[in-house]
Amino acid sequence: MKRSLISGLSLLLAAASVTAAEAPSAPVSQAMIDAAAKDSQNFLHTNGNYDQTRYYPATQITRANVKKLRPAWIFQTDIIESMETTPIVSNGVMYVTTSFNHVYALDAQTGTQLWHFKHNMGPITTFCCGPNNRGVFAYGDKLYMGTLDAKLLALDAKTGKQVWEQQIADPELGYSETMAPTVVDGKVLIGTNGGEYGIRGFVKAFDANSGQLLWTFNTIPENSVGVWATKDATGLDMKRDIKAEKAQLKKAGDPYKTLGGGVWQNMAVDRETGVVYFVAGNPSPDLYGAIRPGDNLYTNSLIAVDLQTGKYKCHFQYIAHDVWDLDAVSPVIIARVNDKNGKPVKGLLHGGKTGYVYVHRADDCSLIRFSDPMVSQEGRWVLPTKEGARMLPGANGGVEWSPMAIDPTQNTAYAINLHQPMTYHVEESDYPGGNKLWLGGAFKVIPGEEQSGNVTAVDYNTGKIRWQVKTPQPMIGGILATAGGVVFTGEANGWFKAYDSANGGELWRFQCGAGVNAPPASYTVGGKQYIVVAAGGNVQIDAKRGNSILAFALSE
Amino acid sequence: MATLLLASPAFAQDEFAAIRETLQTCTACHGDGGASKIPENPILAGQQFYYIYLQLKDFKSGARKSDIMGPLVQPLQPDQMKLLAQFFSKQKWPMIGHAAEDANVQVARRAEESAGCIGCHLGDFRGNSAVPRLAGQHPEYLKKTMLDFKNKVRTNAPAMVDLFGTFSDQDIGSLADHLASLSVYQSSQGTEIQ
Repeated sequence: MKRSLISGLSLLLAAASVTAAEAPSAPVSQAMIDAAAKDSQNFLHTNGNYDQTRYYPATQITRANVKKLRPAWIFQTDIIESMETTPIVSNGVMYVTTSFNHVYALDAQTGTQLWHFKHNMGPITTFCCGPNNRGVFAYGDKLYMGTLDAKLLALDAKTGKQVWEQQIADPELGYSETMAPTVVDGKVLIGTNGGEYGIRGFVKAFDANSGQLLWTFNTIPENSVGVWATKDATGLDMKRDIKAEKAQLKKAGDPYKTLGGGVWQNMAVDRETGVVYFVAGNPSPDLYGAIRPGDNLYTNSLIAVDLQTGKYKCHFQYIAHDVWDLDAVSPVIIARVNDKNGKPVKGLLHGGKTGYVYVHRADDCSLIRFSDPMVSQEGRWVLPTKEGARMLPGANGGVEWSPMAIDPTQNTAYAINLHQPMTYHVEESDYPGGNKLWLGGAFKVIPGEEQSGNVTAVDYNTGKIRWQVKTPQPMIGGILATAGGVVFTGEANGWFKAYDSANGGELWRFQCGAGVNAPPASYTVGGKQYIVVAAGGNVQIDAKRGNSILAFALSE
Repeated sequence: MATLLLASPAFAQDEFAAIRETLQTCTACHGDGGASKIPENPILAGQQFYYIYLQLKDFKSGARKSDIMGPLVQPLQPDQMKLLAQFFSKQKWPMIGHAAEDANVQVARRAEESAGCIGCHLGDFRGNSAVPRLAGQHPEYLKKTMLDFKNKVRTNAPAMVDLFGTFSDQDIGSLADHLASLSVYQSSQGTEIQ
């Protein structure tokens, strides 16, 4: 029945529109993508490379000369709405996306528009937190994008014309796509939103040529109960009523079919082992835990699966039976880290909504250490009440979906943070059917209480905070580190800033006119290194909306 | 010959022929094309397609209770409900010219910022798909709806029931006044520059 509604309506819609000419883009080979971490010309991954380090190797822009950074060009899209896109740059052509799934190809040197694609959006979309899109992946001669109506599109990179589309999941059941896909060895990997609508989360792999489904990993197993963990990853008691949960399990069974566990961000891919790492988000409903007994596996977890088959390898759950929406969203980073004995091992980093940087072993997902808290923890773990309980971190967490960056030469991870006191109200609430928001209560920012943000540098081999800079507003977007010793990030008030990666000293700033709530990128064309970022504001923190892509380079 | 006749605009089929009779019943209370002039009856003209369809389904199933709408939608089949939703969503939203009091605007903005309303209703409250447009809706209808959520009279949107349970009646009155005064200048897919 639901299918017929979707397909029936699609007949009434006009074809997706494309305007303008061809982009002079050369195919992007697997070898190019594999070499991205050392590529100072292109920016081929949303998070820089398969390890997702967001560490850009070009060194033309340095901490010594970054004060000479000037706008090279500014491109304005047709959509004034929240922008979370990371520009992808391939052979001098840049691809950016906007809310509602528009894609633009631009000349990366001049900002000149080459083509514009507008997705033929279906009438049914069910999404949380804004009509965002975080970008495309360029692979071969195609671009790949997920859509709000839960489709995967393949576009011709030269013309912007659609090659194929594949329905990933049913938007009437709460599924939508805002993340950029990750493509590797002919497989397009993509997760799903929907943890606020009672979905059953997943990561799927599609064939890059045909769009056919290759495998599905359900982030919620049919046995989601777990071990009845009473403490979180940092050892704090979560005040669970295990007895009541067990009674509910006996009465109603395993809640896995509507348990949430969305995957909001790109996965890291270990090219040596063929293992894919990602994190799964909150259980549904967010606040009302009594209806979903057990640990709610694998929500709020780091998860590893096999690239070829999608089979489970290992997981680590940060918060069992979460009732605070302090889940796992920010992308996983693969890095060499010291284990508990100081021995270098292949590790994984994740910036949790709890406001900690977690450091794991890559081989078994186990936790090596967690950092000093980057934000206030005064409310953990206060249980939500009917009247409303004050909580910190708030529901947007200490680190939201914003990707972190690392500088492996300094063993340092860079994160952006939020400080947003909220009240948590819980209400009994049965599953309403997939197309209606299902929170099991409400979380509200406390009017009059100060909100703020941080840029934080964490030594991931010790867990100690190396430096921290406070910002006047909560931060959502992302951060980029470069081999020139600079980190770049933006703020909701429109300031885009450069900091000294060693000590946090502010080196440069530019007022972009709208919230800078998107991850920056970098590239080199014509012998000149550019820093590029979107300034379109943000729905979640209501940052001033805009429609600009700004590219900066050193003045002559 | 038959092909030529069908292709001519003058002979184009009325895509809403199957619901024309039902539309007469709808517009008797909701106004021509759904441009209601009765403050207690919501404007449907230009409302989100999927939202209207969901409400019709909920009236029929009883998930949304109404002594008036419940019996009226009982005979409707899903295809008819889709057509009705399409018809109304394609109409132009009427401007009601409501002006909000400054004091109410301040209270409303504080309340909406606290609750994060725009996360779903979007920045100018134009709505999207399953989420209704609120901008420019009759304030009387908005106020009644929010109070019905608060008092659990209307329960077919559980997150709204939960949320409005945390709002004071003053917040709700101010929100209704403020939202009714808002305009939407763009299409349903982003703020497209004209």
